[in-house]
Parts: sequence; C-alpha cells; structure tokens
Amino acid sequence: MSKTNPVRSGLLLLVVGGAIGYGIGLVLDLLISGSLNFNGSVAAAFALLLAVTSFFFGIYGYRGITRGLVFQVVGTLLGALFITGIRALLGSKTIFGPFFFSEPAWVFGALVGDVSFIFGVGVMNDWVKWARGIDTPEHHEDEPGWEKYFGVSLDHKVIGIQYTANALVLMAIGGTFAMIFRTELAQSQLQFLTTTFKLFNQTGPQFYNTIMSLHGIMMIISILLGVSGIMNYVVPMIIGAHDMAFPRLNAFAYWVAVPATVLFLMSLVLGGFDTGWTGYPPLSARAPVGMQMFFLAVFTAGWSSILGSANVIATVVRMRAKGMTAMRLPIFVWASIATSIIALTATQLIGLSFQLVMFQRLFGMGFFDASKGGNPVLFQHLFWFYSHPAVYVFVLPGLGVISELLPVFARKPLFGYRWIAMSSLGIALVGFTVWAHHMFTSGMNEYLRVPFMYSTLLVAVPTGVKFFSWVATLWGGKIETPTPMLFVLGAIIVFLLGGITGPPNAAIALDLHLHDTYWVVGHFHDTIFGGFVFPFFAAIYYWFPKATGRRMNEFWGKMHFWIMTPSFLVLTFGMMRVGLLGMRRRIADYDPALGFDSTHLIMTIAGFLIFFSVLIFFINLFHSINHGEKAEGNIWNSRSPEWQVPSPMPVHNFEVPFVVVGEPYDYGLADSKYVEFSPNGSKHAERTAVPETEKHH
Amino acid sequence: MLHTEDKKSVLSQGIIIFVYLAILTGLEFLVAISFDSVPLLVTVALVKAALVVYYYMHVYKLNLEQEDDTSYDYKSDTNRLGLWLFLVSDSFVFAGLMAMRINLLGLTRPELNQFLGLAVTAVLLISSYFMNRGETLMHNGDRQGFLRNTAITFLLGLGFLLGVVIIEWHTIPAIAEAVLHLFGEPAGVEPLKPTSGVAGAAFFMMTGMHAFHVLTGLILLAIVWFNGRRGLYDEKNYPVEAAAVYWHFVDVVWIFFYPALYLIGTVVK
Repeated sequence: MSKTNPVRSGLLLLVVGGAIGYGIGLVLDLLISGSLNFNGSVAAAFALLLAVTSFFFGIYGYRGITRGLVFQVVGTLLGALFITGIRALLGSKTIFGPFFFSEPAWVFGALVGDVSFIFGVGVMNDWVKWARGIDTPEHHEDEPGWEKYFGVSLDHKVIGIQYTANALVLMAIGGTFAMIFRTELAQSQLQFLTTTFKLFNQTGPQFYNTIMSLHGIMMIISILLGVSGIMNYVVPMIIGAHDMAFPRLNAFAYWVAVPATVLFLMSLVLGGFDTGWTGYPPLSARAPVGMQMFFLAVFTAGWSSILGSANVIATVVRMRAKGMTAMRLPIFVWASIATSIIALTATQLIGLSFQLVMFQRLFGMGFFDASKGGNPVLFQHLFWFYSHPAVYVFVLPGLGVISELLPVFARKPLFGYRWIAMSSLGIALVGFTVWAHHMFTSGMNEYLRVPFMYSTLLVAVPTGVKFFSWVATLWGGKIETPTPMLFVLGAIIVFLLGGITGPPNAAIALDLHLHDTYWVVGHFHDTIFGGFVFPFFAAIYYWFPKATGRRMNEFWGKMHFWIMTPSFLVLTFGMMRVGLLGMRRRIADYDPALGFDSTHLIMTIAGFLIFFSVLIFFINLFHSINHGEKAEGNIWNSRSPEWQVPSPMPVHNFEVPFVVVGEPYDYGLADSKYVEFSPNGSKHAERTAVPETEKHH
Repeated sequence: MLHTEDKKSVLSQGIIIFVYLAILTGLEFLVAISFDSVPLLVTVALVKAALVVYYYMHVYKLNLEQEDDTSYDYKSDTNRLGLWLFLVSDSFVFAGLMAMRINLLGLTRPELNQFLGLAVTAVLLISSYFMNRGETLMHNGDRQGFLRNTAITFLLGLGFLLGVVIIEWHTIPAIAEAVLHLFGEPAGVEPLKPTSGVAGAAFFMMTGMHAFHVLTGLILLAIVWFNGRRGLYDEKNYPVEAAAVYWHFVDVVWIFFYPALYLIGTVVK
C-alpha cells in the first residue's frame, strides 16, 4: 500500500466494487421482479454500498472508516434479511417489495447498519472497555500524517477537520444536485428530466423532486457539520483547553454523521422522495422507501448535533484558561454557546416528528392520519420547533466568525463587545418563539398568527445590533483585504440582503402571498450564504495555516470570491424576481406565459459560475495542503492566543499555558495585551503525556 | 430539610422523600377517580418531580464554577454537567410527546385498567427509593449495601418494564388477561392497539419511548452492579451516581406520563 497512490487505488476499487455491487443487485432484482432493470433501485443500492466501501478500502485498508462501512453494509443486509425472514415465517404477502427488501426490512436494516457502523469504526471501543471495568488511558496517540483523518481520533483538531471534510463532501454532492435541477429550470417545459426519463425507479419529474429535496437536506446537514467543524477546531484552542471536555463523545458525535451520509445517498437510489426537505405528511406518509432512509439519516445526523453541542457547552463552562471571564470570552465562543443551546434542545423535536411519521408508516399509528383522528398540522408544529431555530444554529457561528475576524483586519477594537455577545444569546432565545411563522397558510388557529408575527419581527433587533457593531468596527479602520476579509465583507453584504428580505415574510398579509414562492427561496439563500457559507469560507482561508502550516493561494482565493459573489447576488435577485412574479418553489416546470424564461436562464448561468468558483476553491484547498506557501507564524497579525504559537498546532494545543490579562479585541491600542504565556497558567492547557506503549489501534 | 452529606441523615431523608412521594401518588389517584381536577393533578406532578430532582437527583451538586483542577472530583463535576445537559436534551423528546398527547387527545384519555397503572407506578417509585439508598451506601463505602439495593432496583425496574410491555401492551395475551383479571378487569374488554385511533397511537408512542429509556437504565444498572461487585467504585464512584441520576430521570418522566395517560380528562372509547 505504501508505494501505490492511495487515491488511485481508491478510485480503481470504487469502480470495481461498484461494478460487482451493480451485478449482484441486477441479479437479485431479476430473481424477484423477473425483469432486468439496468437503471433500477436495487442494482444502484448495491452498487452504491459496495462502491463507497471499496473506495475507502483502497485508500486506507481494512480499518477505521472502511471497517465501519463494511460493518454498515453487512449490518444493513443482516437486519433486512432478519425482518424478511420473520415476514416469510409469518406468511406475509409482501416478503419482498419493489426495492427488493420490503419497507420494514430496509428500515430495520438501515438502523442495524447505523449501529454496526459505530461499533465497526471503533468509536465505542473505550466505552465498551469501561463498561467491562477495564481502564483506558485518557488519550490515544494518533497515526502520523493524513491517515489519522480516516480513523477514530480523540484530538479535537483532527475531529474538527473530519467534520469540515465531511461537510465539504456533502456540499459538493448537494451543489451538484442543484446544478442538475438548475439546468432543467433554465427553460420552461421539461427538457431532460422528462416523464420518459427513468432512473432509480423514478420518472424525470420525480427525480427532480428527489434531488431538489436532497439538495435542501444535504446542504443543511453539511452546514450543521461545518458548524461543528469550526466549533470543534477553534473553541478549545481559543479558550486555552487541551481538548474538548469529552473527547470520546466528540469522536462519537462526528462518526454518527458518516452512516447518515450513506443513508442520504441510499434515499436517492431507493425510490427517492418528493416532499422537499420538510417531509410534511400526508405526502411523506406515502412516499417511497427513500423517505424512510431520509428520516433515519436526519435522525442519525441529529445526534451528531445534540452530543456535539453538549460537549461545547461543557468545555466552555469548565475548561477556560485562567482569567478568561465571561466578558473576556472571544465572540466566536459566545456564538458557539448560543448555537449549542438551540442544537442541544430543539434538535430532539425534528427527530421526534420524523420518528412519528416513520411509525405511522411502519405500524399504522395514526398521529397525522386525519381518518384516524390525527392532525397533520401537529407535525408542522413539532418540525418547525426545531427547523426554524435551526437556521440560527447555522448563522450564529457564522456571524461569530464575522465578529471574530473583522477587528483583526480592520485593526480596530470590536465595537460594542457586550452587545454583540448578548445579541447572539438574544437571537437564540427569541428564536425559540417564532416557529409558527412558517405556518401562516397551514390552517392553524388564526389567533396564533399575530403573536408569531411580532416575535419574528423581534429577531431583527439583536440582528441589527450586530450590523451596527460591524459597521462601527469598520468605520475609520485601517482595513486590509486578504481573502478571509473579502469573504467577511461579502458575508455582511449578503446577510444584509437576507436580513432585509425577512420582515416582509414575517408580515402575515404579505406572507400569505409570498409563501412557497421563489421569493422565499431567494431570501433563504441570502441568509444562509451570508450567515454561514461566506463566513465558512472565510474561516477556512483564515485557519487553514493553523492546521497545515501553509496558506491557501491568495490569487485563487480572490478569484473564488470575485466570481462567486456577483454570481450569487444575480442568482438570488433572480430568485426573488421570479418569486414575486409568481414562480412556485419546488416544481420542475413553469408556464412560459409567465414571462420569466430569460431570468431563469441568467440564474442558471450564475449558478454554474458559483459551481465553477467553488471548484476553484476545492482545487486551491487540495493543492495548498502540500504545496501552499509556508506560513508558520502569526500571518494575520492576530491577538488571539492560537496565533501566538507556531503553526501547525501541536497535539494538545499549548505547550505553555496562557493567562488572560486583557481585552480580546483591543487592536491598535498601545500596550494592550490579551494573553500572557506562563507556566503558571491553567492546568487544563497542560500537555497530557501519552505513554509510548499506547498505540492507537 | 436541606441537603446533607451525613450518611444517616441522607438515608432517613431518602425515606421521608419516599413517603411524601407515595402520599402524593395516592392523592393523585384519589383525585382522579373521585373528581377530575386538571390543575390539582398538574400541581401534584410538579411537586413530585421537584422532590425527585432535588433530593434524589441532587441537582444542587451541579458545579458550574471554573476552577484550576484536574482531580477526579473536578472531572466528575464536568461529567455531571454533561449528564445534566443530556437530560435537558432528552426531556425535550418527552415534552414533545406530551405536546403531541395534548394536541391529539386534549382532555380525554384512553380506557385503561386503573389498578394496573397504579401498580406499575408504585413499582417504579419504590425502585427509585432503593436506587437512592444504594447510591448513598456506595458513596459511604458500603459495597454490599450498594449491591443489594441496586439489585432490588433492577428487579423492580424489570417488573415495571414487563408490566408495561407484556401486560399493558397485550404482547402475550394469555398472561396479560390473567393478570388484568386479578386487577378486576371484566373479561372480553377489547385491548388498546397502536392502530386503534390516535389514543392508541399516543399511548403506545409515549409508553414505548419511556420503556426504551427504562431498558437503557436497566442496562446501566447492570453495568454498575457488575463493576461495583468487583470493587471498581469503592473509591471513585461517579458512575454509580450517573446511573442513579439517569434512573431517577426515567422516574420523573413517568411522574408526568402517568397522570397524562391514566388520570387526566374523561375516558373515550
């Protein structure tokens, strides 16, 4: 393995494994359905499972992630066969379904596969030992080089990078889906996703619905993982801790996201689903098996969010450096706390709402079935209780990144530190009271509308506080514009557009007309790009040297920014325009008589330019890991503690702990110090010695 | 009655709290079968939950101070914070289920055997008492006492689980009917099913989610029992406390679910 290029052998095995899986699936499908379905679900499902597993086998061998995936595949099959066997014994009429296994078999199989992955990858090893009364060392030594990223590591920086990489993979897949349906939308009428189009047991329009839904949910999960990625990498470092409070829980929270990723792809091939990412019943109660895979995937990924948040809160409460009082915390830490409060609590409700639909489908329980006295609107309440605050989970860390980076590049103190810190908490808490503004047209009780309108409008207040602080911070500053700062400035502009298009949706009278139009899609993309995607790119450009000791290429970074930003603005302005003219969201086709074909064409071109700019980013990222310009010092001239030591950061962060002696953002003030390194600093920052004999398995 | 560290007073405190809880549960039951008062039932449930959270789950041990320490006690404090954060998160599932029940059923409830409900509730409550006793004894270095009381807790918890899953759910009809007959159920009553309307759906979902938590609690109890027997917790006994707090949390959930499913509102058929 050492001589050959691991990526090459991975890709080779991807093709071989995929072909074998495709063959197996084809034969099984033939046995059950009696016909050869070359583009059917069964062949695709087996091809997918074996291709992904073989790919990682080629790269990494049979350990870590590969072992997890093998366990997941075997677990899925055994679980599905178990239920199939029971159904056969009970004499059920539908032992096999149109997707080879019946729906209950696929669901149980996927669940067993999920759990098997967790055991297979090895993240439970220490806990199992503890349960058996065997002690383990506090830390394990990681494998050297790139290999540690493919197995279980307890180092928060490795886990942060794993999260980020997984987020980028999901972003690439979700973005590709967007390109497919954006192409279909370039012109009215159906061009290639037609009714004669057949793939994975779906017609063209059905496939459109599936990838539109998956674009939504995969981007959302990508964002959640990206948020966890930045928080994991940055928070312990900037508060002076040697790791997170619970390193094993941290690893667990990351690794459950991997089987979830596989399940999203399974939902694509197993018939897909056409509900959009919201999964409203009654439609979701009768969509194909793909719906169930989607529910399970979100449920699994939700645990990542919940457990990760608990870890962040415990870490910040208990492991700060000496002298880091509440009002000297970095703003990004305040934002992480606010986001974690939401993710810790509200996430349970989306899990519950999806679970109820799963059980309605599997056991005939009538929660949302009006013929049994159920109430479909109840689903929407449970669902939005998470899914609205979720957007604050996405944007709060992003806004934290903006506030964190802005003073560094404006060379001025952050304006109104306390207000900024409290505005994050304010947004988080008000965010719990606004969910039903998604339901003004749902038929819920009318007296609920007005209070939810006002609570929604209230969100604009703490958000406005942030904008005033950013503008005041920039005012009169000696502004430098390297790539991270460009993205920060872009984020402020784009988020402003997202912000001012929000209150019209909150106003009931307007929302009744704007609901479910492309206007809302435009608003949403502006808030999420401004609140998460731009700051996420800024964070990657900014902290990349800390992780690798090299910086990303400035020229291509700027190209990424200058291609993406105007294209993105054109895209979302186009979305809002067609929305106001009557374009419904989530549909594959529109009436040419509405007269916005040309706008759609421009939006598609803009979409491809964004795709192209992100491609530049990916190439820049991979190239810079080994070939970027060396950057081991404090290249941004930051006051933050992590930049006071050479890059890349050592395993347990600071060799010498630090004490906080001043304000974090006093840029440009003479003689102001933020941190002082001294051996008398916090014990939490001390390097914990790892015995030489303890090798990571 | 403030919290205390002295072994004898902690043990007697456990007994007093148990007596309060038992009286309140009896009161609940009598209120429900004689006159239907939702505010009273809600108040009783809140008082019971507060007693368990404070005295059995000793929430006051939460330490949010930032100190400069890497000792076992400091780490246990961090673990305690993590556990409570998890419980806060978990309680949102149960709160969501409660919201579902209120939305779907309002002031009605399914027809269930009242005496079976009271019996399983009593079993879970008594198990909480023994759990508290076991935890206190381990905290004071009495390994044998811990093992004895934890074993009783485990058996009572198992009794609750089987009572719900086998008898209340009618998974084994022969046993279920025989036991229900003992509790005065007339023959030929159609049992509740998950598919029979929203009442059945809500009942099976809520008891099912709770039973799943009881099951995980039993697994944790078994783990601490076996490790405790090997003397692992003679010095460092935070795991015992964690299992106990989780077990009491499951009890707190039932303190709300019991009136929600068995007591509040009028019966619908």
